Formats: sequence, C-alpha cells, structure tokens
Amino acid sequence: MQFWGRKSLWLALSASWLLLVLLGVSPSLRLAAPPRPGLGAPQGWPRWLDAGLLQSFSQPEELLEDVPQLQAPRGESCQRGACLDTSKCGSDGLKVFVYPVAGPISETHRKILASVEGSRYHTRSAAEACLLLLLLPGPHERSPVPPQWNGGRNHLVLTLHPAPRPRTFQLAQAMVAEASPTVDTFRPGCDVALPLLPEAHPLRAGAPGQLRQHSPHPRAALLALASERGRWRTADANSSACSWDGRCEQDPGGELSQPTETLPNATFCLIPGHRSDAWRFLQALQAGCIPVLLSPLWELPFSERIDWTKATIIADERQPRQVLAALQEMPLARVLSLRQQTQFLWAAYFSSVEKVIHTMLEILQARILGASAQPWLLWNSPPGALLALPTYSTHPQDFPFYHLQQGSSPEGRFSALIWVEAPGQPPLKLIEAVAASQHCAQILILWSSERPSPPRWPETSVPLTVLEGRRKASDRFFPYSAISTDAILSLDPHSSLSTSEVDFAFGVWQSFPERMVGFVTWSHFWDEARGSWGYTAETANEFSMVLTTAAFYHRYYHTLFTRSLPKALRTLADGSPACVDVLMNFLVAAVTKLPPIKVPQAKRHHEAAPRAPAGPGSGPESQPPARDCVDQLAAEFGHMPLVTSRLRLDPVLFKDPVSVQRKKYRSLEGR
Amino acid sequence: MHSVKLPFRKVVRSTALVMTRLRLRECYKWSVESPCLGLQLLSLGQRLKRAVRCIASAPRTCPGETRSPAVLTPPVQQGAKARPLPHAQCAPCQTPPGPRACALFQACSCRPDPGRGFLQPRRSSTRAAVAEECGEEAVCVIMCASVKYNIRGPALIPRMKTKHRIYYITLFSIVLLGLIATGMFQFWPHSIESSSDWSVEKRSIRDVPVVRLPADSPIPERGDLSCRMHTCFDVYRCGFNPKNKIKVYIYSLKKYVDDFGVPVSDTISREYNELLTAISDSDYYTDDINRACLFVPSIDVLNQSPLRIKETAQALAQLSRWDRGTNHLLFNMLPGGPPDYNTALDVPRDRALLAGGGFSTWTYRQGYDVSIPVYSPLSAEVDLPEKGPGPRRYFLLSSQMAVHPEFREELEALQAKHGESVLVLHQCTNLSEGALSVRKRCHKHQVFHYPQVLQEATFCVVLRGARLGQAALSDVLQAGCVPVVIADSYILPFSEVLDWKRASVVVPEEKMADVYKILQSIPQRQIQEMQRQARWFWEAYFQSIKAIALATLQIINDRIYPYAAISYEEWNDPPAVKWSSVSNPLFLPLIPPQSQGFTAIVLTYDRVESLFRVITEVSKVPSLSKLLVVWNNQNKNPPEESLWPKIRVPLKVVRTAENKLSNRFFPYDEIETEAVLAIDDDIIMLTSDELQFGYEVWREFPDRLVGYPGRLHLWDHEMNKWKYESEWTNEVSMVLTGAAFYHKYFNYLYTYKMPGDIKNWVDAHMNCEDIAMNFLVANVTGKAVIKVTPRKKFKCPECTAIDGLSLDQTHMVERSECINKFASVFGTMPLKVVEHRADPVLYKDDFPEKLKSFPNIGSL
Repeated sequence: MQFWGRKSLWLALSASWLLLVLLGVSPSLRLAAPPRPGLGAPQGWPRWLDAGLLQSFSQPEELLEDVPQLQAPRGESCQRGACLDTSKCGSDGLKVFVYPVAGPISETHRKILASVEGSRYHTRSAAEACLLLLLLPGPHERSPVPPQWNGGRNHLVLTLHPAPRPRTFQLAQAMVAEASPTVDTFRPGCDVALPLLPEAHPLRAGAPGQLRQHSPHPRAALLALASERGRWRTADANSSACSWDGRCEQDPGGELSQPTETLPNATFCLIPGHRSDAWRFLQALQAGCIPVLLSPLWELPFSERIDWTKATIIADERQPRQVLAALQEMPLARVLSLRQQTQFLWAAYFSSVEKVIHTMLEILQARILGASAQPWLLWNSPPGALLALPTYSTHPQDFPFYHLQQGSSPEGRFSALIWVEAPGQPPLKLIEAVAASQHCAQILILWSSERPSPPRWPETSVPLTVLEGRRKASDRFFPYSAISTDAILSLDPHSSLSTSEVDFAFGVWQSFPERMVGFVTWSHFWDEARGSWGYTAETANEFSMVLTTAAFYHRYYHTLFTRSLPKALRTLADGSPACVDVLMNFLVAAVTKLPPIKVPQAKRHHEAAPRAPAGPGSGPESQPPARDCVDQLAAEFGHMPLVTSRLRLDPVLFKDPVSVQRKKYRSLEGR
Repeated sequence: MHSVKLPFRKVVRSTALVMTRLRLRECYKWSVESPCLGLQLLSLGQRLKRAVRCIASAPRTCPGETRSPAVLTPPVQQGAKARPLPHAQCAPCQTPPGPRACALFQACSCRPDPGRGFLQPRRSSTRAAVAEECGEEAVCVIMCASVKYNIRGPALIPRMKTKHRIYYITLFSIVLLGLIATGMFQFWPHSIESSSDWSVEKRSIRDVPVVRLPADSPIPERGDLSCRMHTCFDVYRCGFNPKNKIKVYIYSLKKYVDDFGVPVSDTISREYNELLTAISDSDYYTDDINRACLFVPSIDVLNQSPLRIKETAQALAQLSRWDRGTNHLLFNMLPGGPPDYNTALDVPRDRALLAGGGFSTWTYRQGYDVSIPVYSPLSAEVDLPEKGPGPRRYFLLSSQMAVHPEFREELEALQAKHGESVLVLHQCTNLSEGALSVRKRCHKHQVFHYPQVLQEATFCVVLRGARLGQAALSDVLQAGCVPVVIADSYILPFSEVLDWKRASVVVPEEKMADVYKILQSIPQRQIQEMQRQARWFWEAYFQSIKAIALATLQIINDRIYPYAAISYEEWNDPPAVKWSSVSNPLFLPLIPPQSQGFTAIVLTYDRVESLFRVITEVSKVPSLSKLLVVWNNQNKNPPEESLWPKIRVPLKVVRTAENKLSNRFFPYDEIETEAVLAIDDDIIMLTSDELQFGYEVWREFPDRLVGYPGRLHLWDHEMNKWKYESEWTNEVSMVLTGAAFYHKYFNYLYTYKMPGDIKNWVDAHMNCEDIAMNFLVANVTGKAVIKVTPRKKFKCPECTAIDGLSLDQTHMVERSECINKFASVFGTMPLKVVEHRADPVLYKDDFPEKLKSFPNIGSL
C-alpha cells in the first residue's frame, strides 16, 4: 500500500512537473492568452510626453508677413491662361482662323483643313478670330513667321509629326498641338496633346470600334505585345515568365502565336513607352484591346480632359512580373469597364480626323468657357463631349444621357409641340386628347404657315402658347425657350392620338429618355439594284426610324439639331420636309447608337404621314418622294448610323385573354 | 488505495476552481489590459501561499480563532462515515457558502485605480494589513469553495495520515505554484509590454538623441526637375504586394546640431508630429526599414523659414537609406523665403519626392511631386457646422489680411462698383494686441469674426500672397464658400486626382477686374453644386493633417499600383452622389451580332422525360449555339449518352457537387456566348419563335433581364412591407428565371458578388433564386426588366422549387418574405416597375401572318 502510494506519488509529482515545464515553455499557451493589440505590431511613431507643448509650424504673424511681391515676372513661355487672351473671343467663345497653307499640301493636312473649316468654330476672317491656327508643314520644310504672330499670343501651332520642332522661329507664347508630345516639353494647360494619326485615317466617321461583345471572349488571348514592323504578337495567359524586353523569344514553349499585322485580338495590349510606338495606342484603342502603357515618355492624347485611367493602364516597365500578375488577376468588372471605355473613347474622339480636330477645338473652347465648360462626366461617358454641348447646360441631369450616373430620373411632364405648316382647321381633337393627359405640362403651337394664326384657340386645362415659325422645315427642331420640360411630344395637326396612347408612350419614354419613342415607323434598307440607301414606310417586321409627327424625345435633341449639325445638312433637309424627320432620326441614332422605340397605336395612322406613302397594300412602287435623302445624309455622315429594331413595346396586358376591366390601357387595343 | 487517489484529485480540482473563480470574478471583471492584473495575480499567489501554510499548520495557526464555532453547520457527508468538521476554527467562512467569505475577500481584493493605474486596497490603509487579511480570506475562500463544490472537501485534509499529508501538501503547493507560474507567464509579456509602452509614452522630445553634423558633411544635389516616377523612383523596393499597398518607413526622431552645438532647426512642429503619427497609425506603416518602399524623414521641413537650409540638407543626406533621396518623401507646406519666395522647398533634396503646398507650374514635377494643401490650424480650432447650399448674404468676399496693394485696389474697385454684394475685409488695426486678432477681420469700423464670416458669402477670393499656397483656401472650403482662386500658375492641392472645376473658379490675375461678371454667369444650380463640393473636399482632404497625409500616400500608392488605383468618382463624388448613382457594368451601347447566338442552360433534377422535351424544343431555335444541362441530382447518374435527343448544337452535361439552386447561375467555363438562356426542365410551352424573339430583344437590351413570365412587387400598406404579386397586373418589375435571357456577366456577379448572405439563404431555402437575380441585376444596372411576349398559361414555372405543389398561399408568403429579406440586405428596393413588355413589331396587327417574322407568338 505504502509502496504503491509512494510510487504513484512520485509519478504524480514528476508528471505534474513535466506538465508545468510543458505549460511554461509551450508558446501555444501564450497564444491562448487573449490577443492584445500591441503584441507583434510594429513599433510606431512615439507618442511624445510633451506633444502638447509643440509649436505649430506656422505662426499667425507669418500670415501678416505674407505680402506678395510685385507681379512676378512672367516667362516668355506659355503659361496657364497667359497665352490665350480670352477677351478677344467675345460671348460666342472660340473663333478659329486658319492661315492658308502655301504650296502643295499633304493628304493629312488637307483633311485637317477640311475638318477645321467644317467646325462650328471656324471663321474666315483673321480679325474676328480669337485663335489663329498655324499648320506646320513636314519636318523638312521651312515655315515663315505668320503675319499676326505677336509673340505667338492666341496662336496654336499644329504639327502632326513626332519630329523635333522646326527652329525657324521661336514658339514663345504660342500653344502647340502636337502628336504624342514628350512629357518633358509638354506644358499642361497650354499645349494640347494629339494622337499620332496614321496617314490613312479617314476624314469623317471612320471605322467603328471592333468590340463586338462586352466581355472578353473566353478563347481570346490575354496579351498582345507590340513588336517590330508594326506587328502584334499574342501571348497566352500563362506566359508569366515572358516579358516585353525580348526574353520571350528565347522561351522554348509555343506560347506565342503568329505575329499579326491586323488589329490585335487580345484583352490587354502592351505598348512600349517610346514615342515611336505611340501610334500603336490608337490601334489598340480601336481593337478594344486595353492599352497597357509601359512607362510612356509621351503625353496621352487630350489628357487635359479625357480621364485615361478609365481606359488604359499605365504600368512601370521595370516590373514585368508584377504587371503580368496584376493583369491576370484583374477583377472582371474592371476589365469590362476598361474595354468598353476604349470603345467609347475611340468612337467619340478618335475614329476620324474630323473628330480629332473637333475635340482639340472643343478643349480650347473649354479653356475659354472656364467654369461653364463641360464637366468631367460629359467628357468621360457616352456620348462624349462633342455631343454634349455646354451651351445647352453644364448640369448632367439636364441631358438625357446621365440619369443613371446621377441617380436622377427624367421629369414627369412633357410639352406637346404641334407644328402647323399648312393652314386648315386647328387640330382641336388632338389638342383635347393631349391636354387630357395627366403628364402634359403645356401645349405649344408652332405656326409655320403663310397665313396668320387664328386668334382664338380652344380653352385647355394646360397653358397653350403659339409660336411663330420661320417657315422652314427645320423650324420644328429649333430649341425654343418656351419649351419648359425635358420631354417633347412632337405632333402634326393630322396626327390622331388618344389620351391613353399618349400616357403609355410617355411612360415608355421615361424608361428610355435618350431614345425617340414614336407611333409610326419607317425603315431604311440597302438597295442592291441602285447601290444606294433607301427608305420605306411599308409595314414591315422591323423599323429604324420613327416619324416625328407623333413622337416623344428629349428637348436636348432640338439644341443638338440646331447647334451641332453642319449647316449643309440642315439646308439639305430643308429642301425636302420628309428629310427633316430622317435627319432627326440620323442624329439621335448617331448619338445613342441605338434604335428608336415603337409603341402601339389603336387606329391606323393613315392621315398622319401625308409626305410618306400610306400604309400596307400600297405596294413597292410608291416610294417616299425624297428617297435620295437617306443616301445623301449617309454620305454626309460618312456612315449609316440608323439601327434596326424588331420589337414594339406594348402595355403588359396588351391583347391578353383577360377581362378588359383589368387593363389600364384598354383603349389601345382597338377592337 | 482508493481513498488516497480520490482526495488528491478533489484537492486539485477545488484549487483550480478557486483559481478560476478568483480570476473570473476579480480580475476579468475589469479589462484584461489593466496593468493591475499581473500584480493582482502576484498578490493572489501570496495569499494562496499563505493559505497553504495555514492549512499545513492547522489547526493551531489558523486565524479567526476568536470567532464563534456555534455558527457552524457541518455539511452533511454522504455515506456512513459522517464526521463532525474538525476544522472548526475556520468556520465563519463557511457560514453561507459564498456571500460572507466572498464579501470579505472582495473587501481586500484589488481595484484598479483610474488615477494611477495601480492596485489599491479599498478598506485597509497599510499593505501589511491587507496581506494579513487576504491570507486569512484566501483560506476561507478555498474552504468555502470546497464546501460549495465538493461536499467532502473540508473533511479531507484532517482525515489523512500525517505522513501522506505532507506529500499531499507538497504536491498541492507544487501544483499551485505551477499554476501561478503559468498564470504569470501568460500575463507576463503583457505586463512587460505595457510597462515598456508606458515608458515610450513617457519619452520626451527633449530626450531624443543628438546628432552632430560636421560642417563638411555631404550636401545633396538640388532637386532634379526632370524626375518622373519611372526615372527617379526605385520601384523595386515596393515589389509585388498582394494588398497593393506601399510600405512606408519613418526615421526615428533625432536632434541635429552643427559643429558648435547649435541646433539646425526646431526639432519638430505639432503638425509634423501629427502627420507622422497619422502615417504610423495607417496601413502603410512598417517599422522594418528593409521592407519599406517609401521613407519619410522625421526632419521637419513643413515650414522653410526657421530652417537652416544647408544644414537641413546635410541632415537629410546622412539618413541611413538616403541614396540620393530615392524613394524619400518630404512634406512642405510653406516653401521659399524672402525676398523671392520660391514655390518649392529650397532645401537641396536630390531625387526626393516633394509633397508641397504652393507649387507653381515651374517647379511642380507632374506625376512625381504631390501638391498638398497648406493646413489651416483654424480647421481644428473652429467648428463650423455645415451650412446648406444656397444664396448667401455676400456674393463675393475677400478675407485675406496680407493682400498686395494692386490686388487690393482691384478688390476695392469691385466693391465700389457692386456695393453690398461684395465685401472686402482687412486686418483690424484698432484692436488691442492679442492672439485672437487672427480671428478678426474689419471692414471700415465693423468687426467680423473670421472664419465665421466666410459662411456668409457665396464666393470667396483666395489670392496668392508671397506664396502661392494659402491656408485661407482651407478655411474657405470649410465654410462651404466657393473659392475663387486668383494665383497664376498655382497647382491646386491634389490636382492630380481632385477635379477642382467642380468646387472652385480659377481666374487669371489679369482678369481680376472681370471676376464679378465671370461669377455672375455661373448658373445658380451649379453654384450650389460647387458649394456642396467645396465642403466635401474640405471634409475629405483638408480637414486634418491626417487627411492630408493619407491622401498624399494614396496618390503615391496609386502611381505604384495603377491597376488598383482609386477612380475619379471615388476621389471626387460626395457620399450622397456615390450612394445614389449607378454605374452600369455594361454601359457601352452595343448590340451584339446575331451570329453569336446564345447558350441555353437547363437546370434539372430528375425529370428526364420533360427535360428531353425541353431540349428538343429549344434546339429548334435558330440562334441557339450550345446547350448546357446542369444535372443537380447527386444520387442519380444522368441518362446514357445514347438516350439524349440528337440535336444540331453541342450539348454538355455538368454534374454538380450539391443540389443547390445557385448552380443554375454558376459562370461555367462552357458558356462561350454572352447571352445565356436560363430555362427550367419543365418549360415546354415556349415556341421556337418566342425564344428566338426573346434573344432578339436581349440583343437590344443586353444589360437587362429579358424573360417570359413577369411578376410584380407591391408595397403592402397594411402590413408595411413588400408583397409578391403574380396576378394579371398592368405592371411588371421582375421576370422569372425559369425562362429568361441575360448577360453571362450576371452569372459571375451572382456567384461572387452577391451582397450579404443572400446566396446561402437562397440555397438553404431552396427558393427565390430568381428574385435574387432580379434584385442583383436591377441594383447593378439601375434598369427595369423586359418582359417578352404575352402571358401564357405556364405550368406554374415557379413551382419547381417546391416540386409540384400548386401555387398556393404559403408559396406567395414565402416569396414575399424573400423580397423583404433581399430589400433589407440591399438596403434599398432596387427593382424598377414598368408598364410595358416587348412584342414583335407586327404582333396582332392586321397583317398576313405568313409575312410576319415571328408568327407563332402568344398562341396557346
């Protein structure tokens, strides 16, 4: 008993000692203690005992001593605001005069000249211009100092050659618009960085972006590398060991596909930072391949206004592995938005010489306008600053395009605009029906007839105003200040609409404020036989235009129609009234790149379109009178902007086998 | 044998219990971090030691003899050998098993003293007395505890033989000591650390080490104006970093003296101390100099005027990692000095980055330096509550004290011309001298409080002084006044990322006379927006030294990790805009080519026959490019390959690991097209025309859900919550994914970016995956769904989840619950209600059916 007891005692004793030692030494026990903030954290900046006694870095007396010296001597060189004397520009803003170019000019120069002359800022008089544009010839030719040089003030020297600047005269205070200028010579706020355009860049319209889908195709290559002789090499996602300094070629694996001379089909395009590779940038942009610029030594085009971080990645060329790893792991959402932004920027600012030049002028105009220029959002989201005129508004909510980004929604009321061209009975029934709509804010009669307007108009529940037109077809799209709402319901006296049709169509428009919502449609087609565009009013399974004789659209399109379309186009449209409708449809489609929307109408709109052939059954022999219109407009636009749609938006219960009493828009169903 | 083992275990257990109780009740009650704890345990150990001694020498030395034994009620021992308690002397402790002993014990236990952070006995004045009493009570506590938890406890010790007792007591004490040691060990590091922490806190700035700079020590070169990130910055130091955060090291504070012992500058200013504290507290900070990518010297150059330029430069040059200033960041707010006031710090600094207030276009190295604000100490002193935007008393205000006479003349001319609406304030001359004169401004004989007066003005002029950067800019922004910056060539603070056009008006100096006209031309709505924006800039980036420091580091961080850079919107949009705005992930208006086609995904469990019919039907659709069957039944294999219907497009079967509804929305690699048609295995009533038309509609609305059966959510005013509606309504806000087209990106969003616990909730309830998808898409795009084609008699498309049961009341209740649950997770109701659906252009028109593109629509 005692033996056992002693033995077990010793055993217990030693065991407990062992336990103790283990517990004491084991670090896990320390971990078991509640975690404390200080443990393992870096030793930070000390909290001084006498921190409260420290002096401030600036003493109030210093504020008083801070009296400026006399005006600091200004350099000869161009500085912010100093070289563009805006007082010359007057209230209209920019006016550009181009010095005539002596001698033979290159193709690119011809395009530039044409673009400037086609711009709304162009003037033919050097005296009234506030910006004088000097086109520098090629690097080997000499250019004389222009007559009104005046130290280069209010001058813009435009050069598209990435060669050293000619030293024939001092640039002094002149601004320089140069293709891919080096960062060292570029003066922000003064110079303008242009893209490096290839010789064959089209004057107008230009090729659309190549992106066909929002997300990268699963089988597309991850990377394309700009290689020699203007080619692209594509590499797969797993080529992380491959970098851009040529080491790839030693890699035994077949990671590289054949070099291609066409545009790259990859998610990311790696572009070296040398100025000579700057032209690859536009290629990548057009292809929808996200440009990854490796420590670029040149300024990105229009960087003054365009936020390139939304469309490109500027990486450090010294870190190949990190960049590749980051590209591979980039979140899908970011890849999606970068890709889409490349396409938007390409289409909005770069696809043609005209767009590039107009963007350059728009930037100069924005400098003159100062606080009333387009804000960032208008430059960096579709449809772009060339199509969002600052003279209309600088508030994004006033435009039809930015409601989502602003978290706003379009106004809940509309103005009915009835264009009366031919004298006749006032459209009493129409006015009554429209005025009965709960969303109608006002009715405007645009009296465009030779005869004076009748003195008396019917009493309506909403204000009725008569405007005097100027008897031109394009009148109906003039931005009258009397239009007080975002939405316009454009009407003809012949249109016949019911109140519920108006209400439903307006509801649809509120969902699509940037599109036209109409009742009667036309469609365009390519006429193989004649080799030209045509359009038809025939009943068809698809459509691409809605008639503005009965259509909802945003009032901004009036401003855009009048202020941004070239005068030639408006003159063309004035010649043939039906063409104005087509032109409006062209304009909206070019801005939105989307088709209009058709909504149902109970009765046939037989008398609504007197200028167009009547509905079904009239046969193919009857064409709209001005069938050249579409063709001419397409030529002027440089491409066919119209988009075809195959759907119509109906009320949810439209013609459903359910009690009519349940339907809100039962009158739309006719019989 | 048995009788020996048992008491031993009991003793150990009861001791442990006591320990636990003591620790829990006395120490854990207060914060673990209390420095009292270690000492408390020490004293506890003493007490227990005494207790052991007490027990060992019982009954003679046990304290408390004087107390009456009569109170004792011996605990009844179970079993036959019940004995009276021999240890009667300690009896008072046992009286009520807990309260009294514990009251006694608490009386002499320690309390943390907020004043000193030390233990302090509450009742007794002398430590000795406490120890005495504590010893007594510790015994009692042990006894009490054993009474409470082990009925036989107190009787054990006297019952044992003396020989064994010694062993037991030794053992007991060893174990006790061990436990005490363990306890101490656990808390030891903390007590050491807290004391060392405490000693750091106690350090004084006067005690920092002194460094003597020899007169001939090297001076860095002047700043290199051509520096760019890729030429002067050593990016290798930053390396690959999964978090995409740079590591910033701060040199420890030193005091620099020259050969004669004269200090080079004041050691550190209040603001620079705050700045370094902010960096040290941020995620960027590292204390490992070898891992750092950016170095911040502790040499204070915020203000150049008190600096000795040459010696400061020498001090910089002798920093341990200086290396020509590579990757060093200097903060300077007041550069230059009389008479010419350079716009950048004059201290030669070689390649170091400069975060400077008051850069001009001449000195600012675009993309390398960071322009920072000049901090206004008033920001911390004065609390100006935010004032709503809108017209204010004065249209234009000038409040700076030191204004060049030429500017002053122009301002006064403006005032003369526009009268009341322009206010030009001066320094007050007739005030008695005092520090507060900084906070006063005068106009004629009227005295105004600065900066409060700024809140009375719509626009506030910020003129350049001797320096370009003015602290007044910060005050003006704080007051929500729109700054009118008149300082040619000034680089506005953080202009690399902040869009100053939204918050300020920049007027060239030569246009100063026109300033009123220029400001008048700004529409009122834009002014209000600018006022809001100005205040937001101040709150986010000007308010404190910390905000300035973190914004600077963020800008540098974004340059080094551009792929993870913060976007324009995040920098510039005020929180209210961020909250309400929607950035559609598919914002580009793009109509995908028809040739691409769509991938149909059929979710199935075991209804093979119905599944085969669906496959056959769907395969008739011309634009179908692939068919994917998601086999959700783990207990059953899909039918053999030969049994599947032969169709013209590839057919793939994906077997899932678990029967979950979210499998339908997984972004399978097999999906190559952008368009996805989700279809249930029992939707056999859709015609090929209807499906093809649905795809055409999707092409026009690729960022929306385009589906067949539509549903609606309604607000139930009686119940005050959302309600699910499947009746024939005039509106629609959801489409069921039993048959719907959508972009495949939404699969990715559903699987990886679904907010909250919605995904798990759906899988757990086996319901509402379609409602979740509707919420997700509407939330991310801000757009409504498109319902296609007329209503059909669907064979209860939403019944698949509850398998065959009819559309009954419980189902509707469940779906309503889903809507309410999701709305609370999303924090808003993202669904949009519309009144329209999409039909073919000629649907039900008076037109020959055979000429219509989609004739077979809506027929039952």
